[in-house]
Amino acid sequence: MKITFVLNGIKKEIDAAPDRRVVDILREDLGLTGTKEGCGAGECGACTILVGDEPRLSCLMLAAQLEGLNITTVEGLSKDGELHTLQQAFAGSGAVQCGFCTPGMLMTALAFLKKNPHPDRAAIREALSGNLCRCTGYQKIIDAVETAARTLSGKENS
Amino acid sequence: MRSVYLPGNWTELWEYLARNPRALLYAGGTDLLLKVRTGKVDPVALICLERIEEMKGVTESADAIRLGACTTLAVLLDHPLLQKHFPVLIKALRELGSPLIRRMGTIGGNICNASPAGDTLPPLYILGAEVELKTGSTLRTLPVSGFIRGPGLTQLQPGEIMSAVVLKKQPDYNISHFEKVGLRKALACSVVSMAAVLTLSPDGIIGKTRLAWGSIGPTIVTSPDVEDLLTGKKLTPEVLQAAAGIIRQELSPLDDLRAEADYRRDVAGNLLLRLADYR
Amino acid sequence: MPRPYIPEIGNATPRADAAAKVTGAEKYAADYYGENLLWAGVKRAGIPHGLIRAVHTEKAKNLPGVVAVLTARDVPGTNRQGIVHKDQPVLADSKVRHCGDAVALVLAEDKDTLRNAVSLIEIDFEPLPGIFGIDDALQPDAPAVHEEHKGGNVLLQATIAAGNVKETLPECAVVLEENFTVPFQAHAFIETENGIAWQEPSGNIVMVVSTQAPFRDRFEIGHALGIPINNIRIIGPYLGGGFGGKDGATVQCLLALAAMHAGGRRVKMWWNREENFVAGYKRHAARLHYRLGAKTDGTLEALHCRLYYDTGAYAHLGGEVMALGMEHAGGPYRIPHTLIEGWCLYTNNPVAGAMRGFGVAQVSFAFERMMDLLAAKLNIDPIELRIKNALQRGDKNCAGVVLTQSTGIAACLEEIKKHPLWQDRAAWKSQAQSFKKRGVGLAAVFNAMGYGRGLPDSAIAKVELTENGHIRVYNGVSDMGQGNATAFFQIAGQILCQENTAIELVQPDTARTFPSGSASASRTTYTYGNALIKACEDLRQKLIGRAALVLFADTTQDLELLPGRIKHLISGREIPLKQLAAMMSEQDRISISQFIMPVVRGVPDTGKEFVIGFPHLLFSHAAHLACVEVDELTGAVEIRKYLAATEAGRVLNPQSFEQQIHGSIAQGIGYALCEQVLLTEGNILNPDFATYIIPTSCDIPEMISLPVEAYEPSGPYGMKGVGEVGTNGPLPAIANAVADACGINPTRSPLTAEYLLHSIKQKESTAGKGHS
Repeated sequence: MKITFVLNGIKKEIDAAPDRRVVDILREDLGLTGTKEGCGAGECGACTILVGDEPRLSCLMLAAQLEGLNITTVEGLSKDGELHTLQQAFAGSGAVQCGFCTPGMLMTALAFLKKNPHPDRAAIREALSGNLCRCTGYQKIIDAVETAARTLSGKENS
Repeated sequence: MRSVYLPGNWTELWEYLARNPRALLYAGGTDLLLKVRTGKVDPVALICLERIEEMKGVTESADAIRLGACTTLAVLLDHPLLQKHFPVLIKALRELGSPLIRRMGTIGGNICNASPAGDTLPPLYILGAEVELKTGSTLRTLPVSGFIRGPGLTQLQPGEIMSAVVLKKQPDYNISHFEKVGLRKALACSVVSMAAVLTLSPDGIIGKTRLAWGSIGPTIVTSPDVEDLLTGKKLTPEVLQAAAGIIRQELSPLDDLRAEADYRRDVAGNLLLRLADYR
Repeated sequence: MPRPYIPEIGNATPRADAAAKVTGAEKYAADYYGENLLWAGVKRAGIPHGLIRAVHTEKAKNLPGVVAVLTARDVPGTNRQGIVHKDQPVLADSKVRHCGDAVALVLAEDKDTLRNAVSLIEIDFEPLPGIFGIDDALQPDAPAVHEEHKGGNVLLQATIAAGNVKETLPECAVVLEENFTVPFQAHAFIETENGIAWQEPSGNIVMVVSTQAPFRDRFEIGHALGIPINNIRIIGPYLGGGFGGKDGATVQCLLALAAMHAGGRRVKMWWNREENFVAGYKRHAARLHYRLGAKTDGTLEALHCRLYYDTGAYAHLGGEVMALGMEHAGGPYRIPHTLIEGWCLYTNNPVAGAMRGFGVAQVSFAFERMMDLLAAKLNIDPIELRIKNALQRGDKNCAGVVLTQSTGIAACLEEIKKHPLWQDRAAWKSQAQSFKKRGVGLAAVFNAMGYGRGLPDSAIAKVELTENGHIRVYNGVSDMGQGNATAFFQIAGQILCQENTAIELVQPDTARTFPSGSASASRTTYTYGNALIKACEDLRQKLIGRAALVLFADTTQDLELLPGRIKHLISGREIPLKQLAAMMSEQDRISISQFIMPVVRGVPDTGKEFVIGFPHLLFSHAAHLACVEVDELTGAVEIRKYLAATEAGRVLNPQSFEQQIHGSIAQGIGYALCEQVLLTEGNILNPDFATYIIPTSCDIPEMISLPVEAYEPSGPYGMKGVGEVGTNGPLPAIANAVADACGINPTRSPLTAEYLLHSIKQKESTAGKGHS
């Protein structure tokens, strides 16, 4: 079926089986391999993308559901080669080790910070609890989100 | 390849259903799409309910709050009306899955799934929630406790859709308690859970009370005996111990991957003891 | 973009790979697809033990879109893989030995067809009685998992002995005895096993694969499929986690076989999460019997251990895992008399192999519980007991090896001892809320580094001045997330004085980089780093020497290598590196150097059964402190505070160092509290992330990492490996804390709420009887 949606700010029209998983469309059909798959069952969060401002698990979402939506993947975060504040914070704080959970973490964290610009660490932990990471022990990820929140609110105030 | 329909309103839904009577329905997909993936179900067609705005949202009437069946758990968790009137449900929602699962999963899905471990169910039981079931031409209402027949089993008839959950406002209760024991602190399936609402007088006497346990039987467990025992008594560790003894006797939980029956029985009683913290 | 900087040793240099990973640009093996792609998948045994009568593949073959269905008959070589023992078939031939054994390989045009085809394959089995654990395997008349193996189901039996346990242990003033059991643990990396392969017109196989050992993979494939290793090229990009689980063949031989039947098309295989659990490697389940003797003042005298490791259906590195466990069985303590006996056993359980803390995570639980039991028995402060017995340089360890290198366990313990979390523990414990009990527990742990004797721990570094004047490091040892690539980046920057933007890293590729061993054994930065230092120093000297000719410098003393150029300090003349590169031949712009890790010289006369992997020269050390709260109503443990003091030589990059500490603690906490592969007759009951429970962000506490620096003279800039030691601490530290909180004696893991509530109940009922 023909499906029209906006992907990282660009209108896309694709032809896909209606029950094809969105994660497969992104990775296999559109070559956007930044979105990862870790379990295929909604348990790890590696495939998280944004639908509007809301995070969603792209392994539990079918092609037909894309129609008319505004989708952001990790590839859509940096603008003109400039890393998003959150990406900078992840890289700078040491939140990235193997990096396979990172895209999903970034998308969840981004959606969270939009709703909660001044979170404490406990709230960040809770917000990221659906994204499994096996490398970092999460602490530096929490650091990164905290740092990004501070930087982003500083930008707003200035 | 199977068809996937996204009705935008009730009329379209009835049309799709009429044409695809064997289609399976999903809202968030956190449960059904897993079953499709592992081959547990192989539907010819799927109908996704997420675009039906009429099935979403929270509305208030004089004495009740109505939750559209396709309202996501995240929306409910953040909703001021629920926070005001049903703190016990909010407490349970906070422990359900993960923020990602809550953004996709819906209240209707959590109920229709009829899992004994469904985290919203103990609160819905003690709040006396009712569910609205619709077809193109009929509408009926059932208490949630009557709607669920067993693990994965409900009174939903072919062609029937759960449209809403209705909760009567409960001004009396001044204590709302929910505790879930899982194998980790988030993203956990419940091993035992207990929801409780109580009316506690300033001098510590229990008035009206309702309690329900999850994951310790084929469906949610309630106990009139425990409630009777507690009513009119002072909230003391001794009274709670006596109540714990009753519930442990009444239960016949099962062993599963997450825990053995003995543990569930012990903890189902123990969770009552925690109410002493409200003294 | 951040301003360019010169990566240096000792600074918290951000990861060289972080920018590419946060943008999604970094290509992992899983991210390779391609035009005209075929998908390969496997039909697995599904039963733990049985003879294969027939494999019916016709239905699958006839399915439209199926390109090939292959069985053992289609495997051209020995059809055997295995790192030390070649005992694991690529496709099972006569029998299957665990549920995850691959029986048939399918190539299909798309994933759906592949799944359907696999489900259409039927295997006709004659089931055999199974060996489902240590006790089964030890039965004298037990059916054999490997009929051809001479030792029956004992893969390896070995003994390490020092002094005279038989005479001294019975004479000890105090003798304590206990049994401990630990389950299989899964690596649970987020990127499951996968790769993509194709056959070139020349017949060569090229493979991009998520692997910890690209160079060894060639030997595995070559041996199993009868292909000369020079006809195999392995490319190993950054991994989405490994932790030991991608050390050894996973998809490699299957994919190479698939590529040989794909007519030059690319073939992709990507195990799903369930397959990762069923067919992937595990940490060994083990049973540990300990008898420890001491003087009344707490001086350790004698230790007798019997250690049993369940290696599952195939050897993998089972013998070597057990060897390391045995070498660490006495803890980081001086014990003059030791007798450590080990049995590594074949069973019909999933295959156990390498995992971070390789055999050591298991024994750490046992020896650190024994230390706390001893402290309680003798009424000695547990930290004083440990400090008193802590190994010092010059002491003999429990394997009878004299420690000649940096040995920092006492320093780690001293660091914990002066920390407020230890000093103020009584006050903290007394503040527990209702229904909560608080406890504080310690663990002193260590972990050897490198392969040990019998197998040269070698790396070959290559560094190049590129045509455009950049420095390119050809890294031959995988970065699975541990950050060795960043250390190499720092080393190159430090020696060659170039900015981050002018340093390129090539990840392992058997056609471009040199054999540098596996990403394992906490060895990558140490071994490859030492090789790289030499290669960079050689290149530096060479570049300055060549520049001298151009800059008319009669001595190289007056020349300095600076970012992008070489300067003659007297005249001020400079030559840009790009210009210098243009004047040099390709061959001249390269420097290559090999390093082999030093080994123990005075090898003790014990552990003769170990062909490789014993003993070790270098150890990293750590002392951990866990502050926990146990809920009396549910048994659930919450870790409130966690502290780790770690000695791993000098810290080259505080950020990378802390990453390794945090990550290893988190994995250790999973091992301590919630992780276990549940098995019924060899079948995994929890093969997914809904039921195999790893910690989330809410389960890991804020961790404090205290580096306790020492200088290891043999290490690059004084460092030792830090990747594993932290994994060994959490289980014993948390178990000791729980014991402190509740007065129980945890002897098995994980410390689930159910286990603890049961233990508390049992203790109360025993105490109740005592009173009556």
